[in-house]
Amino acid sequence: MERASEITPLGNTLPVALGGILTNQDSTGKKAAPEPTTSKVVDTAAGSLPAWLLESEAYEPAPDRDGFVQKSLLSLTGVLSRLRLDDGQATRFSPSAPVKLAMGFALILMTSLSSNFAFTLVVLAAVLVRIAALPQKALQRAVGVSFAAAGMSALIMIPALFLGQSRSALLVGTKVLASVGIAMVVALSTPVHQLTSALRTFHVSNLVIMTIELALKSIVTLGNVAVEVLRALSLRSVGKNRAKGTSMGGVGGVTFLKANEAARTTADAMRCRGFEGEYQAVAREAYKPIDFAWLAALAVVVFAFVYLQGVA
Amino acid sequence: MHIPENYLSPSTCGVMGAVMVPVWLHAAKKVRQSIPREKMPLLGVAAAFSFLAMMFNVPIPGGTTGHAVCGTLVAILFGPWAAVLTISIALAIQAVLFGDGGVLALGANCFNMAFVLPMVGYGIYTLVMHAFSSTAKKNHAHQAATKAPALELVAAGIGSYVGINAAALCAAIEFGIQPLLFSNAAGQALYCPYPLWVSIPAMLAGHLSVAGTAEAIFTVGILAYVRKAAPSFGIAGASIAPSAAEPATPSTAGSSAPSVAQTRKARLSLAALLAALVILTPLGLLATGDAWGEWATQDVAESVGYAPAGMANGWEWQSLLPDYSLGALPDWAGYVLSAVIGVALLVIVFRVIAAGMKSRVDFGTR
Repeated sequence: MERASEITPLGNTLPVALGGILTNQDSTGKKAAPEPTTSKVVDTAAGSLPAWLLESEAYEPAPDRDGFVQKSLLSLTGVLSRLRLDDGQATRFSPSAPVKLAMGFALILMTSLSSNFAFTLVVLAAVLVRIAALPQKALQRAVGVSFAAAGMSALIMIPALFLGQSRSALLVGTKVLASVGIAMVVALSTPVHQLTSALRTFHVSNLVIMTIELALKSIVTLGNVAVEVLRALSLRSVGKNRAKGTSMGGVGGVTFLKANEAARTTADAMRCRGFEGEYQAVAREAYKPIDFAWLAALAVVVFAFVYLQGVA
Repeated sequence: MHIPENYLSPSTCGVMGAVMVPVWLHAAKKVRQSIPREKMPLLGVAAAFSFLAMMFNVPIPGGTTGHAVCGTLVAILFGPWAAVLTISIALAIQAVLFGDGGVLALGANCFNMAFVLPMVGYGIYTLVMHAFSSTAKKNHAHQAATKAPALELVAAGIGSYVGINAAALCAAIEFGIQPLLFSNAAGQALYCPYPLWVSIPAMLAGHLSVAGTAEAIFTVGILAYVRKAAPSFGIAGASIAPSAAEPATPSTAGSSAPSVAQTRKARLSLAALLAALVILTPLGLLATGDAWGEWATQDVAESVGYAPAGMANGWEWQSLLPDYSLGALPDWAGYVLSAVIGVALLVIVFRVIAAGMKSRVDFGTR
């Protein structure tokens, strides 16, 4: 039996989607009334029962595909969990964020400039040791991204193999592995707020920092909104719903409206707390004594770079 | 004992590879069943021990060198099938990155060092332990318990010595059948030119005397250190010794489960041992000369008077750090660098494998 509660698709009535996900509401916001039944009454031995109650009911919603909703939900929750759970974690022996960032830049620069294999391998060894000591999730991401990048560059360098330049193909692949590994290690071992504050130390423009900072923070908030709307859409689409695809615009629209609202609220809150559009430079206390040891190590690496450039 | 590229015919390599495929599959299945997810990274550490042990070359009378493998050690700690997988991955990294052992000959090398060695070594270790335990039943029980750790070390020493010699015998047979099976019309060998009556005595003389002793010393030394400093390293049931298995079975005795402080101390002890071995690897350079059967083609040509055709025109793999050395760096630096890269890669590989495993919760006996 087709029921009146076969709910109409979400359509463009997004506030309703957010407000009444689990209640049996239709697009007008009213509670869906049960299908009007006939007033016919059947007399049975047990007494009198309405005829509609005696009918056998085997309601099965028509099979429907909601692949895009599920996929969008999965990918969004994936991104969110990564942002929430895998925020960089510094260890006791980590240098302060500005020093770490500077070391990362310097190592990537030297790896790119080095014309010999020896220096690249020294850097690779250091990066691999650090990656091996990362927490499980961070290790997976670092390995996945850096080996994928190295594999990609090896693929691009395949013609070099046929031209008898297998050594340079190997060198480029190793350089990419080491460089991406360094970038991943810096990102995965530094909390995001420390990274943005470290950018200020290098006199990166306030506007750029604010954009990065707000974007990173908004992704989580807006991701939550998008997940909620998608879940509402999935729950409300009982039975065959051909117009589900058209609701995608609605999901985007709600997220955009929420983004607007969140941006305004954040701007007001920041103004209330006395933010004048300028980030303060990192205070001296941000540096740790262990930074000197790391800078000394960097000096040794720079020396090795210069020495090996001369030798090989 | 690492058979280089082109010493074995491609058909021999193919057969050995085909033999190893079901072994690897079975080993992977066994490891999934027997090794809990949280112990997988430790398997990486065990692989690192084996990798480093293989870098310590010891001089053998006659101008060649040999090295330990520590396959029996891994089998005692994690079970023989885990040892198969662990040593195979270590050998693959050695072949691909450092050119130690041929890429085509990987199947043969894995058969000798990753399959025969741990299986024979562990079998002998089990037999000796059973012999010890049956003798102990006749004596007083408390005396046997105090002697158990020492007896385990003796069994491990005997097992590892026999294991590496069995592996050397297999490698010698693989070398020795080449001139019998593959030679040209002039009677010249196409691949390894030394027949069985040369290869078997040559390989076994070195391994029965020096390399076997080195294997026993490495196995016993590392096992004694691990049992004392990190008793929970390894899995329950792999070891036969009762005193060694007990601390590794938290499910049987909740009070004996290692505390966080103990785990941290154990981790630090293992890291210290690995670091010490990495720093000491250049000692392996003191032994000059190549291992038997690992010479360059021109050296073979000088020795037998001709360059075997299959070796002279064979395929060669361009490895990252050939022979653990870098042209621009001194030998010791290349050696240490190789050790660091190898150890880090092995730990990463096993941690990534652990991440891909499903976590299991043991709710006791069903």
